[in-house]
Amino acid sequence: MSTVPLDMMPGASPRRVVLTGMGVVSSIGIGVSEFAASLRAGRSGAGPISQFDTAGFAHANGCEVTGFEPERWVSHLDPEDLGRASQFSVAAARMAVADAGLTTRALAAERGLICIGTTDGESHDLDRLVEMELRDGPENMSATVAGRVSPIRLSTTIAQELGLTDVETSSIATACAAGNYAIGSGFDAVRSGEADFALCGGADAICRKTFTGFYRLGTIAPDVCRPFDKDRKGILTGEGAGVLVLEPLESALARGARIYAEVLGYGLNCDAYHQVAPHQESVTRCMELALKDAGVDPRDVDMISAHGTGTKANDVTETRAIRDLFGDNPPPTVSMKSMLGHTMGAASALAAIGCALALTHGFIPPTINHVTTDPECQIDCVPNEAVEAGLRIVQNNGMAFGGNNAVLILGAYEDEVNS
Amino acid sequence: MTATRPANGRRLVITRWSAISPFGLGRKAFQEGMRTGRKTVTAIDGEQWSAPERRACLVPDFSVRELLGKKGTRDMDRVTGLAVGATAQLLGDDSGGPSIPTGEGTGLVLGTTTGSAESMMGYTRTSMRKPKPYLVDPALMPYAVMNCAAGQCAIWHGLKGPNATIAGGPSAGLLALVYARRLLASGRAERILWGAAEEFSAARSWIEHHRRGGEAVDSVLGEGSTMFLLESKNDADAESDYEFERQPLADVIDVRSRTHSRGAVRGALARCVSDVLERNGVHPGEVWAIAPSGMQTQYADQESDALHDCFPRADARWIQVTDLLGDTGAAGATFQIAATLSLAGPETAGRVAVITSVDRDGTVACSLIRTRGEAR
Repeated sequence: MSTVPLDMMPGASPRRVVLTGMGVVSSIGIGVSEFAASLRAGRSGAGPISQFDTAGFAHANGCEVTGFEPERWVSHLDPEDLGRASQFSVAAARMAVADAGLTTRALAAERGLICIGTTDGESHDLDRLVEMELRDGPENMSATVAGRVSPIRLSTTIAQELGLTDVETSSIATACAAGNYAIGSGFDAVRSGEADFALCGGADAICRKTFTGFYRLGTIAPDVCRPFDKDRKGILTGEGAGVLVLEPLESALARGARIYAEVLGYGLNCDAYHQVAPHQESVTRCMELALKDAGVDPRDVDMISAHGTGTKANDVTETRAIRDLFGDNPPPTVSMKSMLGHTMGAASALAAIGCALALTHGFIPPTINHVTTDPECQIDCVPNEAVEAGLRIVQNNGMAFGGNNAVLILGAYEDEVNS
Repeated sequence: MTATRPANGRRLVITRWSAISPFGLGRKAFQEGMRTGRKTVTAIDGEQWSAPERRACLVPDFSVRELLGKKGTRDMDRVTGLAVGATAQLLGDDSGGPSIPTGEGTGLVLGTTTGSAESMMGYTRTSMRKPKPYLVDPALMPYAVMNCAAGQCAIWHGLKGPNATIAGGPSAGLLALVYARRLLASGRAERILWGAAEEFSAARSWIEHHRRGGEAVDSVLGEGSTMFLLESKNDADAESDYEFERQPLADVIDVRSRTHSRGAVRGALARCVSDVLERNGVHPGEVWAIAPSGMQTQYADQESDALHDCFPRADARWIQVTDLLGDTGAAGATFQIAATLSLAGPETAGRVAVITSVDRDGTVACSLIRTRGEAR
């Protein structure tokens, strides 16, 4: 890609950053084509949870990844040395690099950033350690499992699998907005010239700890996730990974890469208000910061991919925040979590990939399981069936515990002549 | 390729810092501990900690409620208390210039290993032990999520700028610094409270025990939190320190990481260090201090070998934080920097300190810090 170390050149202008490759591990498809087809068809990833013992819970549906064979994607590392979330992130990164038409050899010649967002890291393995402790005593925990639990491994194992050494690897543990955080970091690094490419996104594996926590809060839906519906019952926990390849426009053009989207900007802020309850004014402010960063007028946004968890607290607050900024006729606002469940740190990364597919293929993914829109959620959530639509600019919302908000703006790539 | 100014000609400076460490509460206790080289390892209370070790470097008599008061601390876990406490001390520091503004312009970037392994595993343990698996305490749930400490720092102190949690091992502090610099360089905050926190706990202790293959090793676990105020200005606006409202204590010249695999740490770290020296036109002779992570892991020798490769003739002072504070996990690199600032003096003004981290999970990192005249 680019060979000019832009960060060494004071006053150099920022580069345009484009998205040229995507890798997906999800409950509704592994690989970007299957994922795109599922989003368009409005498939549901919901089903009974099998990753941990759910005895004693009155209901335990989730959106699990099925048919995932790590050895198809992990060849240099032993899949046994990777936790489930790292297996997902490595697989998604491999797919993303191939999808971008890049070779690891080409990447190895550049300075890169690998940045993966996560809520739970390898909590699935922490759960297993607790199980071993209770069964056999703490002195008999598995060393292999203990060796996999550090969340930084979600990104370092990607570098090791791809054989990349001149890369910064970092895991952003900013809960359910972490995917957008990671994409934002990749965007800033490539835009400034600090990195020539970024592999960024998010990964999480279903775990007992998080399911139990949401269950106790009364926010796990018994069957399916129905965002913006007056009869919504809450979230379904999900899992998966989404990894995006970001590179400078210049290098994408030079190598004739397919450009899914241009990253126009993003915004970050913190409610500084409550550990779990979202804050309307602050969410509005974050969207405003993102649009300002992207140089986009709210009237030009064609679709919003909502955080849309399917809880009352989220859906009502988020809808109001959107209306505060976009007025009485906000753009179609959909929740991909209706299909994917809440994939935690992967959520905004998978949704960003969904947004890029929507731009590329000209459709708006639906909010499924929808019967009656909640009168407190006055938005068009594109119920149940995808609609064809030429989109230019889309917005992807992410909100997290701790009041950590991150909003990403993507645009269809338009060259200078057309724009 | 040699340039004198990376990061688009911006000065990045540390203007304040605080620490809660096994030396005690606050910056002064830390400085005193470093300057006298006081060891902090103590026998731990077997009643309180069901850990495999008998010794650790603990923050003495640490109590979240005593430090922060009773309001809002009923369920607060140790790592959150350490981070919120260090942040409170940083913001309460009224020396050397005006107080630190909070609100939207102020972000917070916190390094961690995995939040609180104790809180996360404790949540699952309760679920597995109770007659009904959902009989867990809902108030504890936020503590079982890794960004809790950073979020609580923001809530307690009204920090509405970007709020991020960066996961790493000993490198977490430097990876968090990279991220904080990126936020400042991109104009996403006016100032960043940057630091790291790690707690001692039975859960962490058992994980470490098994990661080391269950063998007894020399090292002991430590804990604590360091917070720094990081500010940035364009070169053109920052030729003199007087352009900063608060007196710069050090310039962060650069920070950079790369990866290692299959144990090839020595080469990776040597490359990382020589890259930052070369990128910034820093000659090894300018270096007065070398502060390695110094973990007692299988990579300890490789770290010092790499640094001897890079500084073959240097008469620099080696600052070995681990010898005094133990393996402080994610807080390690920030303690190395705090130690460097504690030991700087008029004789080291304008000279460079090298901070390195080796993370067994696959990354190495290096930062160059140019210390100013004052030891603070």
